Amino acid sequence: MQPDTLFQRITDYANRADPYPLYAELRENGVTRQDDGSYLVGTYHEIAALLHDPRISSDYRSRTHPDEAMIRRNERPPSFIGLDDPEHDRLRRIAMRPFGPPHSPGRIDELHGDITRIAEELIDAFRGADRIDIVDEFAYPLPVTVICRLLGVPHEDVPRIRAWTNAIIDSFDFTPGADQEKRQQAGLDARDAMARYLGELAGGRRGHPSEDMLSALVNDAGPEGRLTDVELMATATLLLIAGHETTVNLITNGVLTLLRHPDAHKRLRDEPGLMPRAVEELLRYEPPVHMLPQRTPLADIEVAGVTVPKGAPLILMLASGNRDPLRFDDPDRFDPEREDNQHFGFGSGIHNCFGAPLARLETQIALGALLPYLDDFHLLDDPPPYRRSPLLRGPRHLLIARG
Amino acid sequence: MQIVVDLNRCQGYAQCAFLAPQVFELHGEEALMFTPAVPDDQRERVHRAAAACPVQAIVVGERAGPGVR
Repeated sequence: MQPDTLFQRITDYANRADPYPLYAELRENGVTRQDDGSYLVGTYHEIAALLHDPRISSDYRSRTHPDEAMIRRNERPPSFIGLDDPEHDRLRRIAMRPFGPPHSPGRIDELHGDITRIAEELIDAFRGADRIDIVDEFAYPLPVTVICRLLGVPHEDVPRIRAWTNAIIDSFDFTPGADQEKRQQAGLDARDAMARYLGELAGGRRGHPSEDMLSALVNDAGPEGRLTDVELMATATLLLIAGHETTVNLITNGVLTLLRHPDAHKRLRDEPGLMPRAVEELLRYEPPVHMLPQRTPLADIEVAGVTVPKGAPLILMLASGNRDPLRFDDPDRFDPEREDNQHFGFGSGIHNCFGAPLARLETQIALGALLPYLDDFHLLDDPPPYRRSPLLRGPRHLLIARG
Repeated sequence: MQIVVDLNRCQGYAQCAFLAPQVFELHGEEALMFTPAVPDDQRERVHRAAAACPVQAIVVGERAGPGVR
């Protein structure tokens, strides 16, 4: 049976491999109210305006009728991604202090050598193999190793972190069904376990400073002071998950896209200096985050002639905005040399991706190191099997074979 | 290599200050300072920074200045 609303069709797992025709339908329809009272926005200029509009809240408590899963998820203290200013700004500034400018301007640049070495070690491990799973053997281990090193999380704990992260990401699957309750609960349990783990790890560094971010967060204080224990757990959990999960998808989507577009692949092989722009195009063409589902207007607002009432769920379809022909020429074409590419791959406005510079550098280095090696390979499954989440969308595995 | 930054477009996303910290520097939270003549060993970083700018405010060329694209 065909599910009836557009949002249900978009989130339906059957459409995970290619949601783009549904996004075209969404843009065609304009701002649409779904049966459950939520509003979907899929056009570039409307999304851009909303991302910069202070009347749009990221805090679920702004909803007139927050759904059950949201209430339970938010019995835990929200991280800054789910808060509005001034709280969002205070927490984000504190987290930024050990991560980037103005206080730590060289932090990401200094990782260049480490990231390159990690990429080369991973490639060495499968050099000679005839069949590779890009996710398990490359796109996953690279960013998880980098974020663990940056935060100061022991590498031997990666299997636990992977299990918790998977449970949390799977709980963002909106498909109704018998196991939805169970997935939600498993996601909450995993979130609590990860928060406790990171809280203990950081607590152990209080008074014993080391070079990592967890240590800096408990030992250094800027003008905004320090995080409370509860804020520290929520912030560290966010940084750890968001710090690798989406990059796995970005790197995997990069390999998938280049193997599907041999001309672009060859172009990049011949001119490696194009890689930074190619990664920007990838962020537009196959972004790891497809939608922002947790926005809410604080007042009745008009979007493209439709009034979205105060307190209604507002879902911004970033991946649809990225393919809007009113903003991008020939939007369904992957063009690594695209000019004027102001995509929503990292969102926009005050909540723009905190880790964007790290994700950019990791993906540029990872794809650059892998490119010469990919010449002899082809995709074994096209489309590949996808993970469940329609929000953080990416392949579960990406098998490639020689020949 | 020379650069200009359109400071009317710049919104302080700071991607350039992360990716080429020896060329772009934030003073306070939003005021951007930059070195218009790029040292040779910073060229690759500046290309990364220019591609990453969310508002495409960085113009890179062999020469830079008013009227040069």
